[in-house]
Amino acid sequence: MATETEYVDAGEAVDFRNLSPGYVGTAPPVAKGVNYNRILKARDAEPHNWITYYGAYDGQRFSPLDQITTRNVHHLTPAWVFQCGSVGMHSGASTYSFEASPLVVDGIMYVTGWDGWVWALDAKTGAELWRYHRASPYDVRLCCGNVNRGCAVAEGKVFMTTLNAHVIALDATNGQLIWEQPYGDVRAGESATVAPLIVKDMVIVGSSGGEFGVRGHADAFKFETGERVWRCYMVPEPGEPGSETWPAEGEAWARGGANCWTTPTFDPELNLLYFNTGNPCPDFDGAVREGDNLYTNCVVAVDPDNGQIQHHYQYTPHDVWDYDSTMENILFEMDGRKCSGHFDKNGYFFVLDRTDCSLIRVVPFVDRITWGEIDASGKVTPRVFPDKEGDPVHFWPGPAGAKEWTHASYSPKSGLFYAPVQDVGATATRRRREFKESIPYWGAGVAVDTEDVSGYLSAFDPATGQEKWRFRNEHPMTASVLSTAGNLVFAGDPAGIFRAFNATSGELLWQYTCGSGHHSSPSSYTVDGRQYIAVPVGYGAWTEGFYPGALAQAGGSALFAFALPE
Amino acid sequence: MTATVDKTVVEGLAKQNGVTLGRVLGRGNIGVAEEGPDGKMHATVRIPLDELVFDPGVLVLPHGGDLELEIINDDNNSHCAVLPCNGDAKFIWLVNFAKGRASLTLDGPGYYWYGSRTGNDEGGGLTGTIVVGGEVPDEAKLDRPPQPRP
Repeated sequence: MATETEYVDAGEAVDFRNLSPGYVGTAPPVAKGVNYNRILKARDAEPHNWITYYGAYDGQRFSPLDQITTRNVHHLTPAWVFQCGSVGMHSGASTYSFEASPLVVDGIMYVTGWDGWVWALDAKTGAELWRYHRASPYDVRLCCGNVNRGCAVAEGKVFMTTLNAHVIALDATNGQLIWEQPYGDVRAGESATVAPLIVKDMVIVGSSGGEFGVRGHADAFKFETGERVWRCYMVPEPGEPGSETWPAEGEAWARGGANCWTTPTFDPELNLLYFNTGNPCPDFDGAVREGDNLYTNCVVAVDPDNGQIQHHYQYTPHDVWDYDSTMENILFEMDGRKCSGHFDKNGYFFVLDRTDCSLIRVVPFVDRITWGEIDASGKVTPRVFPDKEGDPVHFWPGPAGAKEWTHASYSPKSGLFYAPVQDVGATATRRRREFKESIPYWGAGVAVDTEDVSGYLSAFDPATGQEKWRFRNEHPMTASVLSTAGNLVFAGDPAGIFRAFNATSGELLWQYTCGSGHHSSPSSYTVDGRQYIAVPVGYGAWTEGFYPGALAQAGGSALFAFALPE
Repeated sequence: MTATVDKTVVEGLAKQNGVTLGRVLGRGNIGVAEEGPDGKMHATVRIPLDELVFDPGVLVLPHGGDLELEIINDDNNSHCAVLPCNGDAKFIWLVNFAKGRASLTLDGPGYYWYGSRTGNDEGGGLTGTIVVGGEVPDEAKLDRPPQPRP
């Protein structure tokens, strides 16, 4: 060994990002003026931007941009591609997926990746302006992969959640940390993957961990300081309204699930946040939690000023199929009524009156539904479920549902909903187990079908519940849909193909092979008058749940921005 | 049906070019960072001659926070380290017989991998872990009765 004086001074370790060619380190202060009032009017006042998760509070995922149309979309070509890759060992190394929805503010794109990544990019060129990488514990409990669905932007800050359940605020000009708040217990099996939502002066987030017997919750923090405003538990404690839907004895409620791991929608006139809650826990063993198990598998309307639950509708009472209802509730108007549309894992399309969450219409949207039936009045009749220990039971849809979390779209131009559909069954065998914090608490062994599966992109008329057109795909559709005023619908698939359809007829107009499967939420924007369609690509996450036939699909870390030739 | 593990197999897993080509990950000594009067934790990790490991291979921090890490390469080959840190990973190049420093901030609880990203140092054994103990703050915990843990 050398003596002390013989050592070469290696100096101080440097930020790894500084060893990236072209790395800039700063971004223009475009996010400085983004506030609640701008987000309220986002779609109409600044259609060139995509400044909140769904593009607007209503969750429609509709862009008013119409430069790319049914007549010219066949000319669409990549304008640029951004790639991330990874170095070293990270959690969920085999399950990471690029799931985010890119935000764009006046030419600057903010997008998150798996494993604590967030980037500011030049939305015109794809150049990396700054990056922030949150170190994520290798052993954080993840039911479904190392993923993150996006960020929020307000008043010069970028907000994201981390795998270990912190919400953090970064300086939008350089990615430096401004504040952070832990809001989940990783030792209990909690994590966070949700894209935050800015409402008024708050940043709204929710928890993941519904497969680990946690008690789901949503949280609000002041976005300037990180000060907590409220927490709303989605499983009531004994004595609270809804607690009568849980066993009076024992602590099933304390392990009840109902996590909010996708972003809520928001109606500013009604002053209601519409949270989407996950499965009860244990997922498949209902005998240890008799009752409807509120507010699992619900839309829960919450007053953003105090976090109090105002209304709810439960899509699958006493779920024993893992039918989370975390997929979005899209707000729209119909015949003068304030409505919401929701495609549930259970295979039914629900239209509600969102003033009180009462049912207007419910219709099936997938061909094979065997778990049970929901009649026109909303009455639920379970038929097939894993109620006998060790007895395998097959049912459609499987636990990933007829539609996963990946979002549908509603076009106010066509008046149609567009849903990515998975026609996949599964077999569950009940296996009761003792509850222990941080250990998966499913109550069954589950094998999802690898054969006789398919998918489709379907257009539905909410006024009638009728399917207007369907694009049949040999693979389940497992990515969010985007509709635009160019009368187009964009959707990616597990094989990596990104397609554009005529929104009225469903005619396939364009496609491009991106090299890895799609499991993200595309968005649209313009810079200098040129319209772009941005889509993160990189397959993974809970592939064994929604499409085990794609477990060998190549991973990826590319963000494509498509545009018409200049 | 498995046979009893021979002592030479155990020893061979803990060195270079024994049973394996490199050294199986997750083996090695365990060290604990010391808390300093500056409120930061302090530790030293070395790369011993011809062992292609970080020593200690498992560095334990009692809780999340700031770590001042000294890294010494006592090997007669060049290595490096890509270290976990909130904000961005830290990189340091370590030529033969070099000494450097890294300031790291990490959350707890949980553990993190780091390694030397040159050649296949990582596969050979130059991969270490930083284990952060402790609990999350009370305000981040669930409001429910204490639950059983494994």
